[in-house]
Amino acid sequence: MGILFTRMLSSLFGNKEARILVLGLDNAGKTTILYRLQMGEVVSTIPTIGFNVETVQYNNIKFQVWDLGGQTSIRPYWRCYFPNTQAIIYVVDSSDTDRLVTAKDEFHAILEEEELKGAVVLIYANKQDLPGALDDAAVTEALELHKIKSRQWAIFKTSAIKGEGLFEGLDWLSNTLKSVGG
Amino acid sequence: MFSLFYGLWNYIFSKTEFHVLILGIDKAGKTTLLEKLKTLYSNLEGLPPDRIVPTVGLNIGRIEASNTKLMFWDLGGQVGLRTIWEKYYEEAHAIIYVIDAACPARFEDSKSALEKVLRHEDLQGAPLLILANKQDLPGAVTAEELARYLDLKELDERLYLFEAVSAYDGRGIKDAVDWLMDAMERSRRTETLRIRAGVAAGPMPTVGF
Repeated sequence: MGILFTRMLSSLFGNKEARILVLGLDNAGKTTILYRLQMGEVVSTIPTIGFNVETVQYNNIKFQVWDLGGQTSIRPYWRCYFPNTQAIIYVVDSSDTDRLVTAKDEFHAILEEEELKGAVVLIYANKQDLPGALDDAAVTEALELHKIKSRQWAIFKTSAIKGEGLFEGLDWLSNTLKSVGG
Repeated sequence: MFSLFYGLWNYIFSKTEFHVLILGIDKAGKTTLLEKLKTLYSNLEGLPPDRIVPTVGLNIGRIEASNTKLMFWDLGGQVGLRTIWEKYYEEAHAIIYVIDAACPARFEDSKSALEKVLRHEDLQGAPLLILANKQDLPGAVTAEELARYLDLKELDERLYLFEAVSAYDGRGIKDAVDWLMDAMERSRRTETLRIRAGVAAGPMPTVGF
């Protein structure tokens, strides 16, 4: 399955440099997802500015991961990672209902970024294996996804631990990028 | 200075963009329709039907037909996802409601979902195009038969049309789109939305030196 996906990706982007940002609050499961996809070694870097970005390079596609929320002083540095971003994968801990409001606010704030205006959005309603996890419809409501009116989005129920739902989401992503000419 | 005139030029000559909502229960063929529209009316090649997966979110298509810009919103039709439809009503100029005409077992479900859509006040006066889709399949009912079966009340106050199409092979789609464009031009709702957007955008920019 992983191999299938990587083949899909390489045919998708050709030789163009592409970036997919994997974002979410801390503890949403972003790094676990990257490991699950088994696309390469996850490299964690902590630059001097104190902003931790994990990167997986697969051919010409860079998956880059960091936590939203917290320290506002480092946010201007996020912009370095925005150019050439084709897609955003937003990961939510569906069982952490206390922080869904924060997850929503951070999400809509990042969508406002001018350089990310053309990126399509894939949402992973993660941690479906945990009791009390909200389903896709409830997470859609909580994140106020309906406010997105000029770009494509999709939400998938996932369990990164069990490896469920991840490839269905990426399948959507690859189709969508193809049809918008990404 | 240039940008000032450019802004003014845009203000006067930019075309209005019509927003069209594509609704219907799951497996009706909404996304297949959207992709066919892209193929027929834009220079983008839409996805082939076998690549299309059930929608759990929003698909968007932008096309231009007879000098008018259209933006289509295609929303997922599974039961749990239908609650999101109404969030898009306020800004929609018209609705396309897609029904699988070859699956009478689900007509009742289609009918009740449509009736709920039509009762919503945010959609007052929005032209309604009902598509008897999947005419490529044997046993698909005609537009007239579907209209008789749905037996919709309270349609009088809006422009509406039943049209037989196949999103798969494309038959009927041009006629349907022609009607839709004409209906949106004539619709009083279009005027209402234009005024509302104008107010929101503020007064016309003044050119000063």
